[in-house]
Amino acid sequence: MVLVLAIGDLHIPHRAPDLPAKFKSMLVPGKIQHILCTGNLCIKEVHDYLKSLSPDLHITRGEYDEDVRYPENKTLSIGQFKLGLCHGHQIVPWGDLDSLAMLQRQLDIDILVTGHTHQFKAYKHEGGVIINPGSATGAYSSMTYDVNPSFVLMDIDGLRVVVYVYELIDGEVKVDKIDFKKTATTQSAH
Amino acid sequence: MSAAAAVEASSTPRKRFSGLRGVRWRVDLGILPSSPSASIDDLRRVTADTRRRYASLRRRLLIDRHPPKDGDASPDLTVDNPLSQNPDSNWGRFFRNAELRKMVDQDLTRLYPEHHGYFQTPLCQAMLRRILLLWCLQHPEYGYRQGMHELLAPIVYVLHVDLDHLLQVQKPYEDCFNDEFDGITLPENNLFSNYKVKRASDWDSGIETENTHHIMSDSRSLDEIDPDTRDILLLSDCYGAEGELGVILSKKFMEHDAYCMFDNLMDGAQGVVAMASFFSPVVGSSTNLPPVIEASSALYHLLSIVDPFLHAHLVELEVEPQYFALRWLRVLFGREFCLEDLLVIWDEMLSSSNCRLRGDDAEYNFRVLCSPRGAFVAGLAVSMLHYLRSSLLATETTTTCLQRLLNFPQNPDTKKLIEKAKSLQEVALVSNMLPSSSQRDSNKGQFRVSSGYSLPSGSASPVPPLNVLPDGYWEEKWRVLHKDEELGEQSNSDQGSAKKKLAEKLGLYRTKSEPLKVKGALNRSSIRQILFDDVSSDIGTVENHVTTECCEAPINSNNLNVGDFPVVLADQRTSNWIVDETLLSGDNSVVFSKSVCPHGIGNEHEIDSVKSSVTSNSFLSDNDEEAFNMEEPRSQNASNELALDAEATSSRVADAVPEQRATPNHWKSFAGTFQWFWKFGRGSNEASRESQSSSDARHANKDSFDTTTCDGTDNSSGVNKRIEVGDKKMMHALRNLGQSMLENIQVIETVFQQEKGKFDTLDNLSNNILGVKGQSTAIAALKELRKVSNLLQEM
Repeated sequence: MVLVLAIGDLHIPHRAPDLPAKFKSMLVPGKIQHILCTGNLCIKEVHDYLKSLSPDLHITRGEYDEDVRYPENKTLSIGQFKLGLCHGHQIVPWGDLDSLAMLQRQLDIDILVTGHTHQFKAYKHEGGVIINPGSATGAYSSMTYDVNPSFVLMDIDGLRVVVYVYELIDGEVKVDKIDFKKTATTQSAH
Repeated sequence: MSAAAAVEASSTPRKRFSGLRGVRWRVDLGILPSSPSASIDDLRRVTADTRRRYASLRRRLLIDRHPPKDGDASPDLTVDNPLSQNPDSNWGRFFRNAELRKMVDQDLTRLYPEHHGYFQTPLCQAMLRRILLLWCLQHPEYGYRQGMHELLAPIVYVLHVDLDHLLQVQKPYEDCFNDEFDGITLPENNLFSNYKVKRASDWDSGIETENTHHIMSDSRSLDEIDPDTRDILLLSDCYGAEGELGVILSKKFMEHDAYCMFDNLMDGAQGVVAMASFFSPVVGSSTNLPPVIEASSALYHLLSIVDPFLHAHLVELEVEPQYFALRWLRVLFGREFCLEDLLVIWDEMLSSSNCRLRGDDAEYNFRVLCSPRGAFVAGLAVSMLHYLRSSLLATETTTTCLQRLLNFPQNPDTKKLIEKAKSLQEVALVSNMLPSSSQRDSNKGQFRVSSGYSLPSGSASPVPPLNVLPDGYWEEKWRVLHKDEELGEQSNSDQGSAKKKLAEKLGLYRTKSEPLKVKGALNRSSIRQILFDDVSSDIGTVENHVTTECCEAPINSNNLNVGDFPVVLADQRTSNWIVDETLLSGDNSVVFSKSVCPHGIGNEHEIDSVKSSVTSNSFLSDNDEEAFNMEEPRSQNASNELALDAEATSSRVADAVPEQRATPNHWKSFAGTFQWFWKFGRGSNEASRESQSSSDARHANKDSFDTTTCDGTDNSSGVNKRIEVGDKKMMHALRNLGQSMLENIQVIETVFQQEKGKFDTLDNLSNNILGVKGQSTAIAALKELRKVSNLLQEM
């Protein structure tokens, strides 16, 4: 029973001052085991804040990140799942499912977490799951100004992952849940 | 177990199932009916009920965080998501449980590591964890507190032992209980199938040896078994009332039983002593104190009745009862005794009922003492305190006292402790019913005289109980010493041999540390002794203060104690704590030869032997057996000095009584100093606590260390450490030392002056004894003191 937080595109301080208060009250240290951050934090203070939520923090580089040392892609293994992380501005067209699936096959992972579009998306296709946590601060993107703050919490339990989506719609936190099950046989990418 | 049963049979009326602790405890705790007429079937039914309750509780509380997908309405996600702040959500509960689990695990991994064969096995740990978690979930107001696991551990252990015993008992009768028909084993009876088909060829009971048919276990054969075994067999028969659920000694349901017992223990089962209350900070209704604090003060109350001297000493040291009693009470002495001893103690404790003794309307002082069980707990605590009495009285500061209390010796005589506890239990129960403390005091004497229990039982003190009861502990030993004293002075034997005799008599161990080469270093040592004169004289006066409550005569004997101090102090090695011991064991001086010694003051020889005996007796107060033989050579050399000192101090004693007010402070400071050294030798750092004047004595000791060569004992190494520390404060200490010496000298001089005037008074034996010779020698000693003090001040 591992809780993994997928969050990103905060764009603090350039496009947003801080996380919404309701989100901040929910994100307390001690509950979450891993954090996957898609990028575009942008400053070190945000990095430190996320680090305080959980010691295991993974970040990939977004185009506005001030710390240049973050990698472009990252893969890790949690329980029975292989997860991958990428900001997404590298994948053109942005947010295109097929291109993202190509990256997923390339990284040989079950769950791919990307961002950049500032829109929450969760796809399931034959290769696995692609999750876009959106923007946690609701920062505007180059594509749209109408962004709802959102982030994703994954509960990985054996071969099953439950994805909880937290969105701030009209000042209220809405939660949604999606179940994914991995087939027992491991998939080979090549 | 049969031995235990036999003991039970002889002492008290036979209790049922005395061989089976688990069952016995369940009866005592109120889970199983305790009436003798309860049949086995009744017991089984009750057991089955309790187990059912636990099973349902377990199913309810060990939640599944993933709600079933089919059927139920999907839970509201805003409430039921992992990050939900809502306390009612499943996830919230899950996280709380995870917290609890973490805390419980922390404790469980450290549970009884020495019994790792049982307690640290994963199965046992899982069971303990489940029980504790469920109890805490059931009682959210208490939560999980450290120590609960230690209350649970003996319970589980006892059940486990019972099972082993059951297996033993069942072995000869395995045929009756084996369900192997025609050699085919049925799978469900794991318990019995452990006994494989090996038929008992060594079987000599009256049971038939037909081994193919199960039906042979008819009542005819059962009647031939002795009642105990039969009971056990019926208790664990799978086919009795309630079937397997009713098997009283059952491995399968050990968890259920343990939970029940634990629950009853914690809740008190409507009795008085509810262990759970000891863990909660919630204040009790009648008193405004948390129950454990109240229980601790009940303990002290009992102690004050039974042993006011120790109580006063502890109060004086500001040792609050809850510092140590918290641990004692919360785990019911689980940390102080090894598991086997603990089981015996708990046997006794649980056999006392927990019901409130009188109605609610009766007034009581302490709630915990309202029931026999609570009174036993308090009584046991006081008996433990009394067991440590000598070492506690020897301590000088709170920290050391607490150290002693918290490191209870490993192998105490449990039987004696329990017996004493039982007698104190009576006292506690009676005392609790007194409406006010003033009455309690007036009844104190009544207690002593009437019940006649003196601590410890068996002290043969012919002295009136009222005076000596607190010191009765020492009476015996000192009586012996006293007799030897008389022998010693009459025979005028060699000093060393007298001392040796005394030492042997007291069974003291003398370390083989090389005696101080005082002869060679006589000059230095004499100076040192002079230096210490004042110190010791002060100490002596304080001794008087300490023992003032006792007979007058002993006060004189204190002088001799004082005189001995220079000798003691001259020994650089262990003088510190030696003096410490002598100082603080006021009792020693009390008992110490009440009348003989003062008369013999003029006799140097006697003084020496007396002093050595005094110091050696003082060592009795200390568990340490260090360098006792120091005194022997030392006293030989310093006899002259000693005589002077003794006389000087004895004269001072005459006025010591009125001066007691002033001296205690002085005493404390000096005593504190020596205490400091003693503790330092043990590696503690209490120096900061001592006052300025303490640095005097410290420095004085340090001088002695510097000047004389030390042998390589542990003590000396500790001493060297002290030297290094003392270096820093040398100058300041020197000055202070000089000043104190001056003060002391002045005191001595005034004493002498007064003494001259008081020569005619007969009530002061010591004055008369001094005589002219004594006075002159004392005056000479004073002059030397003055010289030394001048030297010091110049430096």
